Amino acid sequence: MPDSWGFVLAAYGLAAVVLIAYWRRLVRRERALGAEHRSTVRRA
Amino acid sequence: MVRIVGGVTLVALAAGLVMAFGVAPREVTQGNVQRIMYVHVPSVWVAYLAFAVVLVASIVYLARRVDGADRLAHASAEVGVLFTGLTIATGSIWGKPTWGTWWTWDARLTSVSILFVMYLGYLLLRGMIEDPDQGARYAAVLGIVAAFNIPLVHFSVYWWRTLHQPPSLMKPGPGTMPGVIVAALMVNFVAFSLLYVYFVAKRVNLLRREAEAAA
Amino acid sequence: MTFARRAFIVVWKDLLVERRSKETFNALFFFALLLLFVFQFAVGPDRERLAGTLPGLLWLGFILTGLLGLGRTFVVERENDCWEALRLAPGDKSAIYVGKLAGNLLLMFVVEAILVVLFGIFFNLDLAGVLPALVVVIALGTVAFAAVGTLFAAMTSQVRARELLFPVLLLPVQAPVLLATVKATEAVLLGEPLGSVAHWLKLLGAADVIFVAVGVLTFDFVLEG
Repeated sequence: MPDSWGFVLAAYGLAAVVLIAYWRRLVRRERALGAEHRSTVRRA
Repeated sequence: MVRIVGGVTLVALAAGLVMAFGVAPREVTQGNVQRIMYVHVPSVWVAYLAFAVVLVASIVYLARRVDGADRLAHASAEVGVLFTGLTIATGSIWGKPTWGTWWTWDARLTSVSILFVMYLGYLLLRGMIEDPDQGARYAAVLGIVAAFNIPLVHFSVYWWRTLHQPPSLMKPGPGTMPGVIVAALMVNFVAFSLLYVYFVAKRVNLLRREAEAAA
Repeated sequence: MTFARRAFIVVWKDLLVERRSKETFNALFFFALLLLFVFQFAVGPDRERLAGTLPGLLWLGFILTGLLGLGRTFVVERENDCWEALRLAPGDKSAIYVGKLAGNLLLMFVVEAILVVLFGIFFNLDLAGVLPALVVVIALGTVAFAAVGTLFAAMTSQVRARELLFPVLLLPVQAPVLLATVKATEAVLLGEPLGSVAHWLKLLGAADVIFVAVGVLTFDFVLEG
């Protein structure tokens, strides 16, 4: 059976993209909350 | 603390990749395509782990009304759905060159798909209820129902596929595989589990801070 | 007031309301009739193909009418502000769940009986010999469906898009039950004894016990607040 490296790449690539995207979403929301907190604290 | 877990996770994932591509041999019948297993199987393992945590956290929440339990359930369900989706996608990608088709109703893919929609519904429910207390309670009830459904899904799908029909070509469990392959699988299990812990920890933190900000 | 009596009062109230208005039953009956046409058109006149899909179509019919009927379980309460009354009623709220479940089971059984008769007529089935076995399978499957359905109906009655969320939550959970009932019905309609599908029946029995137990244990938390 041919090695189908394309598929292996697709699977690992997809996993990497999805997991990294989720990680970045978490980080981005954390930063947004941090900035919000700082601005409310400054106001208070 | 979370950063340390993140760092260790990264190392573990790298080790997993090394094992999957460097150490593990080219499989005899399927060729290198079989290496997809090292991301597909740990994903499904993590998904089940995540949903088990959802069950426990849901029960704890209903029994004790600890907000932390509710946040844990929510975060774990989210990460669980993520890994379930990944399981299905990688399973499908593995299936195309192996069986010639993008989709097949074999036992594992079917069970995991049912799991996927169940917990997607869980997230949907959470999204649709405005009152946080009610949302937490209802989600907990759903989390319990869904978890108890998992064994039913397993048996029914397995019987549906294997009785009067030849079993699917899906790989058997680690017991019948050569040691090197099992070792590579284990390393990736650990790596993915660490990734789960890292994601859930960050997500729970986020939920807590969002709740505090709203208060 | 005992648990059983409280449950019974809920059923009785629902039956009285239904008997006066007949709105739910009439609509469901008509819907079941329409499904027959839809199935016939969807599957086509080929008798063999129809025969093959019959068990699936039958349960599809049960589920579609069930989704409509069960989804409304608590809507009538909300519309008449009875939800608050239910919440504030003292004592074990699970009695309300059992009462609602019993009412729903009654509704489902009546609709299912009608569908079976209609299927028998329109698709020319010989049901005489297989009826007892069929009844067993239908009963087991319906209890599981109604148990989760009643619980989820209570949960979704509070949500904005309840008509959407109810089936979305219920159907995945029902997947194993559906697999089991269709397989068992298939065997029964072919005249095989119930023993040949014992494993499916055991699964359905387990599902029944699990889902009713979870419903009874968690209903308090749903009715709160």
